[in-house]
Amino acid sequence: MNMVGPGLLIISHHIKIMINKNDNVTLVDALDKVLEKGAVINGDIMIRVADVDLVYLGLRLILTSISKAEELSGKNFSNPDKEFTPDDIEYIEKLQREIRRAEENIPKLIDLGSPQKTEQGLAQLVLTLVELIRKLMEKEAFRRVKRGTLSKAEIQKLGLSLKAVKKKIKEVQAIFGIEDEELNLDLGPLGNLM
Amino acid sequence: MAEELIYLYCIREKSKNPSFSTKGIDGKGEVFNLPYRELEVVVSKVFSDEFGSEEIQKKAQEDLSWIKEKALAHEKVIEEAMRKDDEVLSLIPMRFGTIFKERRTLEETVNKDYSKIKEILDRIQGKQEWSVKVYLKDREKLEQVIKEKNEAIKEKEKEIASLPEGMAFFMEEELKEVICKETDRELKNIVDVLFEGLKKKTADSIRNKILEKELTGRSEPMVLNAAYLIAEEKIEDFKKEIENLNQKMQTEGFCLEYGGPWPAYNFTSY
Repeated sequence: MNMVGPGLLIISHHIKIMINKNDNVTLVDALDKVLEKGAVINGDIMIRVADVDLVYLGLRLILTSISKAEELSGKNFSNPDKEFTPDDIEYIEKLQREIRRAEENIPKLIDLGSPQKTEQGLAQLVLTLVELIRKLMEKEAFRRVKRGTLSKAEIQKLGLSLKAVKKKIKEVQAIFGIEDEELNLDLGPLGNLM
Repeated sequence: MAEELIYLYCIREKSKNPSFSTKGIDGKGEVFNLPYRELEVVVSKVFSDEFGSEEIQKKAQEDLSWIKEKALAHEKVIEEAMRKDDEVLSLIPMRFGTIFKERRTLEETVNKDYSKIKEILDRIQGKQEWSVKVYLKDREKLEQVIKEKNEAIKEKEKEIASLPEGMAFFMEEELKEVICKETDRELKNIVDVLFEGLKKKTADSIRNKILEKELTGRSEPMVLNAAYLIAEEKIEDFKKEIENLNQKMQTEGFCLEYGGPWPAYNFTSY
């Protein structure tokens, strides 16, 4: 404990706001300072820690949006004046039930506490890809809504569908204990997936 | 046969503090002072089978735990060299891994840079380095604060509340993005003002790069990583100011932390 000065000082001065007094934080501080900063004098031997290169996984995704395809084919499948059909109403009600159910489930699942770690890794990867597809669909939906070619019923259905998928993903996240920010992949030089 | 080398930790003003309880970076060698005119050069002996040029490059690239352990040992020696009872001595910490093949080349280097070294020690005399780190603990809280100040956002929320759920979804998502951008903008502003405000009562300051969560091991993101060089008599005021700011900014979701005195890593490079 008396290894790192600031740690020692924190205790002796009872500085309350230094919430994290554990060695971890001071270790990081020490590493950051010792390795990165400090005076550089011409020694005969210098350790160059910065030489340690990280090997990154490279991954490329080629994605074509439906909107683009639609534009290219010159087709427009929608009609703004279309009314709600009984099928539409049933579908909307089903989606609303799904959303409510998932919403109720999330806090319960979070309360359960210890998520199964073993399956978490795989679930995280699968969910990340689902989330990617969801985001692409959502962007596409936004473009269609903005273009004004969708009927009210269609917008309503589309919005509810997207919301249902979103809530469902949240629910699965809660089951496996996966945080929002974990739904991503580090693609190294390409940056993050999302 | 392993060759003897000299590992350099720091250069400090004369201390009348001749002995060290901390062992050297290899865990074995004694740490000692090499007196040089008005300075003390703090060193220990190491051997080429562990700290030779090639061995060290290899370890630095292959063995992260070795670096961790040795970097901490390096820091520990400097911490001891910096303190004499309750006093904090002026000292120039060296970067990890500064090694000389013989005492003569080390002395030549110190001799060549003597006036520069003295200049730095004089500049930091009677001052201490303290770090200030700010974390955004609760982004939702900050968003809430920003939302309440923004009439346009409140108006939009009302409009959304009157729409059917599916149609509202699109506007909700759009609004979320607006709030997110507004929060980022405001966050940058708050942090800038905070850094500049604290700077006023200090002798020097630097804004270091933000450390990633993987490094800090904390779930909340770091939003400011600053270091200040502060005159000894102003340190208590400085701490009080941060504690007050922390109190105030907690309600906006922030968490301020300070630490020190550090060896003046950020204010002694030349």
